[in-house]
Amino acid sequence: MERKLSEYISLSQTIDVSKSSKKIKVGILSSFTINGLSETLTVKCSELDIQCKTYVAGYNQYNQEILDSKSKLYSFSPDITFLIIDIRTLLNKIFHHPYSISSSERKKIVNEKISELGNLILQFKKNCSSKLIISNFSLPSYSPGGLIETKSEFGFHDMINEINQGLSKIIKDESSVYVYNFNQFVSKFGEKNIFDYRQFFIGDIKIAFDYIPYLANDLMGYVKPMLGLNKKCIVLDLDNTLWGGIVGEDEFDGIELGQSSNGKAFVEFQKHLLSLWQQGIILAINSKNNFEDAIKVIKEHPDMILREEHFASLQINWNDKAQNLKAISEELNIGLGSIVYFDDDPVNQERIKQEIPEVLTVELPKDPSQYTDILMSLNDFNVLQKTDEDLKRGKMYSQQRQRSELEQSAKSIDDFLKQLNIKVKIKKADKFTIPRISQLTLKTNQFNLTTKRYQEEDINKFSSDNNMIVGCAQIEDKFGDSGITNAFIIEKNDKEWKIDTFLLSCRVIGRGIEDAIISYILKEAKNQGVEKIRADFIPTKKNNPAESFLPNYGFKKENEYWVYDLKDSIKTPSHLLLEVE
Amino acid sequence: MSKKLYDIISKVFSIQISEINDESSPETIESWDSFNGLILVDELENSFNIKFSISEIIDVKNVKDIKRHLKNHGVDLND
Repeated sequence: MERKLSEYISLSQTIDVSKSSKKIKVGILSSFTINGLSETLTVKCSELDIQCKTYVAGYNQYNQEILDSKSKLYSFSPDITFLIIDIRTLLNKIFHHPYSISSSERKKIVNEKISELGNLILQFKKNCSSKLIISNFSLPSYSPGGLIETKSEFGFHDMINEINQGLSKIIKDESSVYVYNFNQFVSKFGEKNIFDYRQFFIGDIKIAFDYIPYLANDLMGYVKPMLGLNKKCIVLDLDNTLWGGIVGEDEFDGIELGQSSNGKAFVEFQKHLLSLWQQGIILAINSKNNFEDAIKVIKEHPDMILREEHFASLQINWNDKAQNLKAISEELNIGLGSIVYFDDDPVNQERIKQEIPEVLTVELPKDPSQYTDILMSLNDFNVLQKTDEDLKRGKMYSQQRQRSELEQSAKSIDDFLKQLNIKVKIKKADKFTIPRISQLTLKTNQFNLTTKRYQEEDINKFSSDNNMIVGCAQIEDKFGDSGITNAFIIEKNDKEWKIDTFLLSCRVIGRGIEDAIISYILKEAKNQGVEKIRADFIPTKKNNPAESFLPNYGFKKENEYWVYDLKDSIKTPSHLLLEVE
Repeated sequence: MSKKLYDIISKVFSIQISEINDESSPETIESWDSFNGLILVDELENSFNIKFSISEIIDVKNVKDIKRHLKNHGVDLND
């Protein structure tokens, strides 16, 4: 349950965030009175151990603040700025009298408004490095056109839809600007609730007090991923969480799933979990059951939506649940702070909250019909950008589980590697791969020789430089596609090449892939008449998995560098297939 | 007397109950600005399950006025 605005305001006077490890500066610009939003954001941040400083621009001062390069907003230098303009202010007289002018005049006004907004965004970007979140416009339920509104030639509602589409188009390719779907916010809570005429007439308030906390909640959805507080994995209990009843007692045919009203609630919940999995959220199970009972339902029950292939880890046993959660975190190599835990039992919820407070334990009520709504109202799964690899993450983790199962059953490591049928596809840097190459340099800590971090613009520059090679590798095996999990950057000289960056995502380490890629680079160099390859290992706290790579492959230490003499033979692992695009 | 009302006023304006009397107003209570005034309206409406009109809201100059309007809405302040 969301608290009242008055509660946030009194709490905001008592919070102490002086010890917070994380900090954020938030700019708030709006075309109407939006008191209380700053206080609510400050409280919500403090509860996540974030010190939030805000700058709230004066009433309806957003134009001046953005257009004046010396404005207070810019000297505050926010990390994130929310710009909320309402449709009444934007359309001015036309809001009430859209049909006092012709459809072509309406069209002209709309185009003017879109370019005004475009200019605000452009000026903001010029003056400030903050992320900008601009709200779109709510579509009023009323139209003076009445029933005929939907038949009008570029009518009142068309105008607003067109502005919203125009706004989305402007920001589509802007990496630091996002549209907040305020129209969707109003339709979720209802125009009659959000817009209170008395508050509007008395104080030019266009979002009623009771709904400011819900708005703040949506806006926190942007703050969390900026500070790396977004969640990556959902861990689920089974009995009374994914299905009704207890499979150990009610048996396979006795659990509620699919047919009854309660059973439908569980199916709906599972469908929404699956849709999150399709967006790259990892799913795992933590449940006290006999493994055979539970896995039979997962594999064979006709109404199960989530199947074995969707789960990256299956901790189905009689161990302590806190211990299981820690095991999942280790197995998947993700922090406990990235996990959301769903369990219907209040005792288990309390136990996890006490034992592992970093995990977000959802307060799941007894009634399963509420589960889906609770899942959908979590604002913790947002990311500010998504690559193909992110979307496939859920799938990749469950493939990883199948790989480790094969590894355990294989006779030897060579036998395991042979059975995997690994294919390494070397790719050039191009507009499809550059965002991922940059992301890999920014995120890879373990198998990374030099840990140099590069933004997209850097990679772009390197890839168009004739004296450099930028490449990457996509890895596939019999269980599926791991996506682009390697990147390399090489500086070329006539006689000698230098490896600037060579990294491998931790999920594909230990399968000879690094050897295959380096052998490809060495052969390329040799073909172009190069004599030596020079590489560097820069130790960090985390990159010791890469430490022995160069000497093990056959690089020799020369002063502070590792050097490979290309007169030596180049060995290539035989268990995998190398393709060059 | 009027305990519920004073509790709400004290919470909204973050002041002690002992500081509140009939003559308390935006002049005597520093935190009683127009925004907190509206928050007070919201709290009173929710607690007493009533709805003020705009003219009632802008007519309020002090606590005595609030009591008068509450009585007009049938709220018994003597509990």
